[in-house]
Amino acid sequence: MILPLPENPSTGDRGDHRTGRSRPRENPPARSRPAENPPARSRSPRRRSARRRPIVLATLTWLYVAWSLLPVLIAIQFSFNAGKSRSSWQGFSLRWYAGDPNSVAADPSLRLALANSLILAVLTTLVATPLGVALALGLARWRGRTSRTANGLMLLPLATPEIVMGSALYLVFTNLYLFVPLGRPAQVLGHVTLSVSYVVVIVRSRLASIGEEYESAARDLGAGRVAALRLVVFPLLTPAIFAGAMIVFASSMDDFVISSFLSPDASSVTVPIKLYSAVRNAPSPALNALATLLLAGSALALALAWLVLRRRGASDALKQMAPM
Amino acid sequence: MPSHPREPLDRRRFLVASGLLGLAAACGADPSRRPSATASVPLSRPDRPVQLPLHTDVPAVASKRPPEAGGKLKLLNYPEYISPDVCKKFGEEHGVEVEVTTFTTMDEMVAKLRTGGESFDVCFPTPDIIAKISAGKLLQPLNHNYLPNFANVWLQLRDPFYDNGSRYTVPYNAYTTGVGYRADRVTTVPSNGYELLWDPAYKGKSYILDDAREGLALAMLRRNLTSVNTEDAARIRQAGVWLSELIDLTHVKIGINAYQLVAEGQATVHQCWSGDMVNAQSYLPKGVKADVLGYWYPDGAPGVVGTDSLAIPRTATKPVLAHMFLDHLLDPAVAQENFSYTGYQPAIASITPEKMVADGFVTEALKSTIVTPEIYERGLQLLQLSPPAEALWNDAWAFFKAGR
Amino acid sequence: MSRAPARRRRASPLWPALAAPGTLWILALFAVPFYAVAAVAFGYTDPVFNAPVPEWDPRYWDLTAFGEILQRSLSGDLRPVFLRTLLYVGVSLALCVLVGYPVAYYLARHAGRRRGLLLALVLAPWWINYITRMLAWLNLLQDDGYVNDLLLASHLVAEPVRWLSGNPYTVVLALAYGYIPFFIVPLFSTLGRVDERLLEAARDLGCSGRRAFWHVTLPLSRHGLMTASAVTALPMFGDYYTNTLVSGSPTTTMVANQIEFYLLGGSRKELGASLVLLLSALLMALMAYYLIASGRAERELT
Repeated sequence: MILPLPENPSTGDRGDHRTGRSRPRENPPARSRPAENPPARSRSPRRRSARRRPIVLATLTWLYVAWSLLPVLIAIQFSFNAGKSRSSWQGFSLRWYAGDPNSVAADPSLRLALANSLILAVLTTLVATPLGVALALGLARWRGRTSRTANGLMLLPLATPEIVMGSALYLVFTNLYLFVPLGRPAQVLGHVTLSVSYVVVIVRSRLASIGEEYESAARDLGAGRVAALRLVVFPLLTPAIFAGAMIVFASSMDDFVISSFLSPDASSVTVPIKLYSAVRNAPSPALNALATLLLAGSALALALAWLVLRRRGASDALKQMAPM
Repeated sequence: MPSHPREPLDRRRFLVASGLLGLAAACGADPSRRPSATASVPLSRPDRPVQLPLHTDVPAVASKRPPEAGGKLKLLNYPEYISPDVCKKFGEEHGVEVEVTTFTTMDEMVAKLRTGGESFDVCFPTPDIIAKISAGKLLQPLNHNYLPNFANVWLQLRDPFYDNGSRYTVPYNAYTTGVGYRADRVTTVPSNGYELLWDPAYKGKSYILDDAREGLALAMLRRNLTSVNTEDAARIRQAGVWLSELIDLTHVKIGINAYQLVAEGQATVHQCWSGDMVNAQSYLPKGVKADVLGYWYPDGAPGVVGTDSLAIPRTATKPVLAHMFLDHLLDPAVAQENFSYTGYQPAIASITPEKMVADGFVTEALKSTIVTPEIYERGLQLLQLSPPAEALWNDAWAFFKAGR
Repeated sequence: MSRAPARRRRASPLWPALAAPGTLWILALFAVPFYAVAAVAFGYTDPVFNAPVPEWDPRYWDLTAFGEILQRSLSGDLRPVFLRTLLYVGVSLALCVLVGYPVAYYLARHAGRRRGLLLALVLAPWWINYITRMLAWLNLLQDDGYVNDLLLASHLVAEPVRWLSGNPYTVVLALAYGYIPFFIVPLFSTLGRVDERLLEAARDLGCSGRRAFWHVTLPLSRHGLMTASAVTALPMFGDYYTNTLVSGSPTTTMVANQIEFYLLGGSRKELGASLVLLLSALLMALMAYYLIASGRAERELT
């Protein structure tokens, strides 16, 4: 999964609409626009669409939601199929979760894949989050040429297709960093590289919208630099840090290319790799069950994060993810 | 790790690098920096058997050692190419967990053998790469004292041309390459069965093997050319062009899962290995009879045959147990059980065609899947090529894969 | 903001110290690996193991393989692959715009009370594994799957459509389906930031809703549209698994498939690495265009 680039990463989104601070683009002369653009061919000034258009749009949006989620729901449904088919419904059963010799519970390779995916995602989150937060803080406050270069470098992974990054990491681990064995160690390193920039971008945009006044005030009141960070900036950053961690977790769970390039043997197969190879080899509803369990894992992580964040302004954290 | 500049690769450095690039182009690559160890790797042929050299720094494991216990016995194999039950029983017997890592091409297998950090105890190389990987010290010589069951192997493969004296390998399975099809959807099988794959009637349901050598050999054999080990650039390229006809003609797909695709009906015709069709019998959906499966292999004319072998990587952590595993697979009863799972015929003398039909392993229609020592003798094998020729085959295959 | 704290900050070693680990990380695990790709591309392949032998010293770089790839991309067998990739990405992106823009627009401007729910539903695919979502379609698109059932029942087709048999339409639809969530979200956030007052002003000045859209909303969202297109198109260029899953035929081979073939199979890894370099160069050119164009779009707004 590649996440969107920040709106305007180099400058940061200073004018935060939520805090009501106005943006410089507040009042462009609306009338000058038509002069720049070719005159529209609007035949009648009648406002017939003012109310009707949203109906069309609403239909389209709901259709889109159906299109994007229905197939997945059907796939989940088939994980409960009593038969072996993945295309015709033969009654409800839990055999693909447990009971059948090929079920997730009975097939050690499926269980292993599930465990690998979760462990990898947790390790990646634990490494990438602090690394990214520190980098964001450093880059936001440290001015200079080196800082600008580092900033540009940090954005490059976001603009790199996974096959490029995956093959580059594969080549470097097999030819240069020979002390890093392929498998989980290499996968963690790769996933952190893939996702650390998300944390940086989210945290930086939050830092920019907080501004530096609180910190300056704390410093003026006698707090040390580190104390100001710890007591003032971190609490304000918490939602962004959580949002970043969640994105890292999700992108690690989602990643197929890097995990697969860096997986030398069966012991480091993750769920996406298992799904990919099994879809090509011997698909069975057990795969749907595996995918459903992974989905449940993600949902659980999301719900957990939500509960944790409730006290700290959960909606704020979700909003943090929106600009991503 | 070479020392790298502390500062990031900024624009100026890129410019310097591109300057260097121009310089490099000017002086050209220095061929003396490329050691050519490969010149010494012999190309084995049935009429030119090869005894693979031993290396003093890669000794065979000493005799009469106790088997290693505990942990994992790691196999490196094609997917679904060994019975999980056979593995499980062996593991229980010896107190280890048998773990299978899979690959889909020999290159992938070699890459995994070479990659640091992971070691495997048993691998399944094809004869065309055995000379290379033994010269590259990826395999360890076998100690035949641990392999009493070796005597069960086909006579022809007890001292094979690709590994005289069976120094590094023992044979695993034998197979032919032909065309699997759904007999209920293919009305007539032409005398040249390869034509099935060129028949637009099966558009979208037509598959060939995902293998450069097999695919291009198919295009040659269809035209009765038997130069499947040629090093002639023009012939190889021509095969690629012939194969590319399939793209528009049938929207040909590429895969190695004929056993499933033909059984389930996703493929109507599929170039495949004989074992795939035997195996397909157990993949049939409920209510579909086994006689819908057909397998065509040239009768009388030479077709492709092959064997797979078993070997022990140099880095094996359980070499004694690995030998015992090899021996286990050469036991006729175990081989039979394994056969019933993989569908691939072990090269074991006691498992005869008559026995296979009598035991109900294959239907009448699938009798053509059986490999006899005679078919093996007469068949064409896809053998090791010189590196430049290998590159030509790969390029022709890439040309086909690129589509039009 | 006063200048004094800025000066104080600059003196502090804390900030570089905080930035250092992350920067070093990206250097070691992004920049150096990229150099490794170049070293492989300009090196050669060990013929015994079919393994790359990278050439770390630029003085000895051998450009033969890269030249070969370049030549084959311009006039040889890779040319149709590049053209096909561009076509697929282009059409998929167009689909993303056609479907994604109205959805993002509705979500940002008209969703009203249901906005929270809709947003959650639109964000949901982010949390669902990409391969899982493809797997879902694979089930539906079987010859006897639900999609064909539906088409047959509605008499739109006389016999089942063979979606999964090297069908380029399936690949394009699958790509669009796979990447559209990444298109909608950044666009949504831009559209959400379009100042309501501008639209009111436009209407007060006699603009119809439609004209207001064309003359205010659309130009204001151009930057977001381009960002969304960039984040959607870039990964599509590197996608090899989607078409392998839904087609698996040479009729639909994309650039990344050939990269995978040369890097993981094949006996000349330098060709694969060269192809990675070439693709990266192409994408960098696209990125540069995006940065320049979006910079211009941003300037026009201010």
